[in-house]
Amino acid sequence: MAERVVVTGIGIISALGTGIHEHVNALKQQKIGVCPISLLRTIHAREFVLGEIKMSNDELSSYIGLPTGDNGYTRTALLSLAAMKDLLSETDIELLRSEAFAFINANTVGGMSKMEDIYADVLKPDTLQHNIKYIDTLDCAESTERVVEFYNLKPFMATISTACSSSSNSFIMGARMIRQGLVKRAVCGGGDALSRFTLNGFYSLKNVDKKHCKPFDQNRGGLNLGEAAGYCLLEAESSAMARGAKIYGVLSGYSNTNDAYHPTAPSPTGEGAIRTMKEALNMAGINPSEISYINAHGTATQNNDSAEGLAIQHVFGTKPPPFSSTKPFTGHTLAAAGVIEAIFSLLAINEQILIPNLNFETKMEELEIAPLREYAENANLQHVLSNSFGFGGSNVSLIFSKA
Amino acid sequence: MRQPLYIISACSISAQHTYDAETFLNPVVTSGNGQMYVIDPDYKKYINPVAIRRMSRMLKRGITAGMRCLDDAGIKTPDAIIVGTSRGSVTDMEIFLHELIELEENALNPAGFIQSTYNSVNGWLAMLTKCPSYNQTFVHRGFTLELCLFDAMLNLAETTETKHYLAGAFDELTPEYFYIRNKIDYYKKDLPDSFHLLEHSNTPGSVGGEGAHFFTVSNNKENAACALHALDMLHKPTAESLQQAVDAMLAQNGLTPDDIDILISGMNGDSRTRFLTDPVVASVSPRTTVAVFKHLCGEYDTASGFGLWLANYFFSKQSIPAEVVYKKGTSERIQNILFCNVTISGNATLMLLKGV
Repeated sequence: MAERVVVTGIGIISALGTGIHEHVNALKQQKIGVCPISLLRTIHAREFVLGEIKMSNDELSSYIGLPTGDNGYTRTALLSLAAMKDLLSETDIELLRSEAFAFINANTVGGMSKMEDIYADVLKPDTLQHNIKYIDTLDCAESTERVVEFYNLKPFMATISTACSSSSNSFIMGARMIRQGLVKRAVCGGGDALSRFTLNGFYSLKNVDKKHCKPFDQNRGGLNLGEAAGYCLLEAESSAMARGAKIYGVLSGYSNTNDAYHPTAPSPTGEGAIRTMKEALNMAGINPSEISYINAHGTATQNNDSAEGLAIQHVFGTKPPPFSSTKPFTGHTLAAAGVIEAIFSLLAINEQILIPNLNFETKMEELEIAPLREYAENANLQHVLSNSFGFGGSNVSLIFSKA
Repeated sequence: MRQPLYIISACSISAQHTYDAETFLNPVVTSGNGQMYVIDPDYKKYINPVAIRRMSRMLKRGITAGMRCLDDAGIKTPDAIIVGTSRGSVTDMEIFLHELIELEENALNPAGFIQSTYNSVNGWLAMLTKCPSYNQTFVHRGFTLELCLFDAMLNLAETTETKHYLAGAFDELTPEYFYIRNKIDYYKKDLPDSFHLLEHSNTPGSVGGEGAHFFTVSNNKENAACALHALDMLHKPTAESLQQAVDAMLAQNGLTPDDIDILISGMNGDSRTRFLTDPVVASVSPRTTVAVFKHLCGEYDTASGFGLWLANYFFSKQSIPAEVVYKKGTSERIQNILFCNVTISGNATLMLLKGV
C-alpha cells in the first residue's frame, strides 16, 4: 500500500490577490477579480473583462526582488516566481534543498505575452538588444527553469502542457513520484499570463463572453480569461508528520483520461468526464455520496458546461453535492486553472466553507441540477472533487480529503 | 528504476530516410544551408483526406509517426499516449501570431491557435486509436522525450499487467524559427555540408533540425530488441557532474566502462557544448564504439528521439553503419548502449539501453 500524499504548502497569485489570506477573504466576501482590462495591450481592452493581476511586470519584479525594466523575465516567469515566493514564505527553502524533490510545472503558452509584443522587431535584421534576451523565452519550460535557477534549487523537473488541465496533471505526476518513493516532496502547479494570443484565440473560437461569465447558466456566453500561478507542496504523509507540518489536505484520488472524441470539444454526453470522476472516486475508495463539494471546471462555454453538467448528474444523480465553478472569481486561468481550483478546494476544506457559483440565474434546460448559489460556512466538508478539462480531450479529476 | 522499459517498435520521420528503415542512409541526405528539414512520407495512409487538408505539417507528421509506430507493433489501441514537444507546432504559432499582428486582432482564423496547442497531437492520436486512457504531454526543452519515457515507467510501475504505451516527441524547424534563433547563435553561420558538421566544432552553433520519433513501449519484452534500463536528466550540468552521473548510472546497473559497446553522443558541433561532450567521449573504454547522429538529423530539443531510434536500429540490425561512427571500438557485440545527449539550452540526458 503506497503512502498517502498530503499538501503541506500553498503559494498563489491571481486576480484575487497574493497568498492564502487574500484568497480566503475574497472567496468569503465574494469579491471578484474579473474586471475591465487595464494592463493587457489589446484593441479589445474596452470590450472585455479579464481576471487580470493588477501588478505590472515592474511591480512583480520588485515584489520578487528582481531588477525592473527589461530584465529578461517574461510575465509568465514572473507570476510563477511570485507564486513560489508565496509558497516559500511558509515553507523553509532548505526542505527543498536538503533532499531530492520534484518540481512539476505546467504552462500553456510560455512567454507569449512578451513574444507577441516584440515579434515584429525580432523579425527585423537589427533587432533591438533589449529584445534579444527574450528570444528564447517563448517555450513552456522557460518559467520552470527560471524558478529553479532563481531559488537555486536542484529538483527533478518537468513541464506539462495539456491545455486547461495542465496543472492538475502536474499533481498526478508529483503524487506518483512520492507514492513510488522516488521523492519525499514535490512542488506541483503551474502558471499562465494573459496574452493577446490566447484572448484572440478563444475569441476567434467564439468562446469568450465580453461580460462576466455565467457558468452552468442557460444563458451563458462563454468564458472570461484570467491569469494566475499557483503551487502546492505535496509530501509523503510520514515526512509531513515527522516534521510537524501543517497539512491542508490529503490528495486521496486522481485520474487522467481522454475523450478520444474531438480536437477541441468535449464528448457531448460527458462520457470522458464521467469516467475520470469515477476513476478518481475509485482511487480514493469513496462513494459519490461521500463527496461534500465539487469544484467544477465550469468554463461557462456552451460545450463544457453542458458536458460537465451531464457528467456530474450521471455520476452523482439529480441531487448531487453542492457544486460550483469559481471561474467568475478569477477568470479561466488556463494552465493555472487546475492548481488554483485545487487550492480553492483545499481552502474550502480548511475553512469549512462552500464557495458559490457567482452570476448564476437560470438553470440549464438539459440539466436537472443547478450549481450552488449561496456562500455557506460550517459546511462539514470531508472530500472535495476538483475537475479540469482541456482541449485535446484531456480530462483530469483530483480529490482532496480532510486530513 | 525497478523494471526495464522495453521498446517494441520505433518510428522516425527525420531528415534521413528513416520512415522506411530499410533505406536508411541510402542515400545520406545532406544540407548546404544549415537547415535540415524532414523527408515527408505519404500522410494519406493514416489521415483522411478531409482532415488532412486543414492540418499543418507538424500535426500530420506527429500523427503519422505515432500511428505507424503502433502499426509496426501490431497495436491498435495503446494503453496510454505520452507525447512531448519542446516548441509545439511552430508553423501554426507563426501563422496565428502574424495574423494577430497584421490583422490587428480582427477576424482571426482559429486554426493556427488550435493546432499550436501543445497537446493537439495527443488529442488526435487518442481519437484515431480510440484510446480513452491516460494521456499526457511534456514540454520541457531537452528533457521532453526523456520525460515521456520516464512517465511511461512511472505508470508501468503501478501495474502488473502487460501494457503497451505510445511514447514519442516531435519538433519543427521553419525558416522563420531558424532566422530568429540565429540571432542567439543557435546555428552555424556557414555550413556548406551538414554531413561534416562535427568538423566545425570550433565555432558556436549547430545545424537546424526537426523530426518526429515515436516508440511503442511496454513492460513485456515480447518482440522487443532492446530496453531502457536507466534514465537521467541533468539541468545545466558541469563536466564533472555529468561524468559523475555517467559513473553512477553504470555502477547502479553493475556495469563498468568496458561493458559499454556503444556510446551514442549527442555532440552537435557547437563549441559551447563541447565541455560536456568531449570528456564523456574521451573517457570511454577502447572497447567502446562512439556513434554520433546530429550531422544526420540536425539539432533540436527532441533530437534525442533520433538517437534513441538509432540505438533501437543498432540492436535490431546488430550493426553500426559507418556514417555514424565517430570512433571505432574493439567490441564486436551490441549488448549495452549508453546514450548521452546534450542540447544548446544546457540540458543533458543519459539513457542506458540493453539488448533483449
